[in-house]
Amino acid sequence: MKRLAISKKTKAILGGIAFPIVLTGLWQLFIFAGFSSARFLPPPFKVFQKFVILFSDPAYSQHIAVSLQRVMIGFFIGTLAGFLFGLLMGLSKTAEKIFAPFFHAVRQVPMIGWIPLIIMWFGMNELPRVLIISVAAFYPITLNTFSGVRNVPREYLELASVYGFKGLTLIKKIIIPAALPSIATGISLGLAMSWSVLMVAEIFIQTAFGVGTQIQKGRDRFDIALVIAGIITVGVLGYAMTVLVQKIVQAVERGRVISTEK
Amino acid sequence: MPNNKGTLEIRSLSKSFIVDNNSLQILNDINLTVHSGAFVTIVGSSGCGKTTLLRIMLGLENHYTGEALIDGKQIIGPGSDRGIVFQDHRLLPWLTVGENVAFGLDKLKRKEKKLLVDEHLKLVGLNGFESAYPSQLSGGMAQRVAIARALASKPEILLLDEPLGALDALTRMYMQQELERLWLLEKITMIMVTHDIDEAIYLSDKVVIMSSRPGVIKKIIDVPLSRPRNRASSDFTRIKAEILEEFHLGTEYPFAYAI
Repeated sequence: MKRLAISKKTKAILGGIAFPIVLTGLWQLFIFAGFSSARFLPPPFKVFQKFVILFSDPAYSQHIAVSLQRVMIGFFIGTLAGFLFGLLMGLSKTAEKIFAPFFHAVRQVPMIGWIPLIIMWFGMNELPRVLIISVAAFYPITLNTFSGVRNVPREYLELASVYGFKGLTLIKKIIIPAALPSIATGISLGLAMSWSVLMVAEIFIQTAFGVGTQIQKGRDRFDIALVIAGIITVGVLGYAMTVLVQKIVQAVERGRVISTEK
Repeated sequence: MPNNKGTLEIRSLSKSFIVDNNSLQILNDINLTVHSGAFVTIVGSSGCGKTTLLRIMLGLENHYTGEALIDGKQIIGPGSDRGIVFQDHRLLPWLTVGENVAFGLDKLKRKEKKLLVDEHLKLVGLNGFESAYPSQLSGGMAQRVAIARALASKPEILLLDEPLGALDALTRMYMQQELERLWLLEKITMIMVTHDIDEAIYLSDKVVIMSSRPGVIKKIIDVPLSRPRNRASSDFTRIKAEILEEFHLGTEYPFAYAI
């Protein structure tokens, strides 16, 4: 049968875009049926047109580039800090006792709750924008590094002590490799958090550049097509980044299947 | 030249654990000498403290009374004079077979490391597998890698904690032959803990029988049979009956030997 010739990968892609297409169809039907005025819900075609206009202007790519750069810097700082902090709390029960309650209390405050204070302290600058993105990445990476380090199988630690591995050697040879799957999960979650907080950072700490500013601009002008185009851009880019990180994680993981079986 | 290294002596050793503020005696007045190059097995029912005794020899348990000596020196922590094979192969899943064998060879140069890894993989019949990952191996192969890892650091004494316990019956018998071959080849002391009496008789010069609560050595039985041993010979069966007698399984239930 011919249909079997379609590869699994193609099938997955077709499956993935089927639902957005159906949704767009429903959206169009909704408008044809006259349930909504074009002012509140422009037809899909108008949004598509907006995309063409946006992408034909080099300024839009620049907005995207600025947003990506902002996320990358924040995410990098958050990852590094979260990894080190999670490692410290995982290795030392004393450090956990001192820092964990404070950490868990602080992370209950939603990022948007920090915005007024951050603006008052740092003003409408790049620093506070990057700062809240890194803090957003910091939480899940800290938590997952911590649990990864704490859950290193006792058998591996015993093996290390048989061979006399201590301190940095122990961390390098046993603890980090054993905790790596958990750390990788933290990094994926951290990236997703960074990207969602990007919007908060760009809309609430006003700036001239970034995808978020375009959504805000759409709102100011009551240009719903622009707002929707902005939202789609953010969604697609975020998804692309997630997939990219997953691929990197898979590459790191390849060949090593963590087995806890006895 | 005879190699006199790898002599183990345990002198009036006792050990207790504290459980809920009560002292629970695990080992009571253990006296045991294992001569250089001997193969000694320790058998006994669960909870007789045989694994604890092996952990003391390994240097992982340090709180006890009495003495544990290797070549006349007190055991203080683990050392490269002793190797260990656990019941679970305990290979690190993120390292290849070759890297696992090289695990304890940190101080050596790359070239020397590679030489030792090649030599020991060949020894256990797994040359060509150095770049495989543990998840790709069968249970018996994984355990052979674990044995190669333990032997690669050239120990005087190899400690084996039910090393074949997780393998199926046929692989197990095959691995017993392999262990014997390695022991004859390497000429080092081997001390093994096992549940399997046939395995003990097949491999050892001496079978140490322990009984539980508290763990004491009940009897030490010599196995003066020539090698390789025939599991069906009358001498083999006689020694087996003698051991089973110690577990009160000898006369009443001649075919029940599962402990």
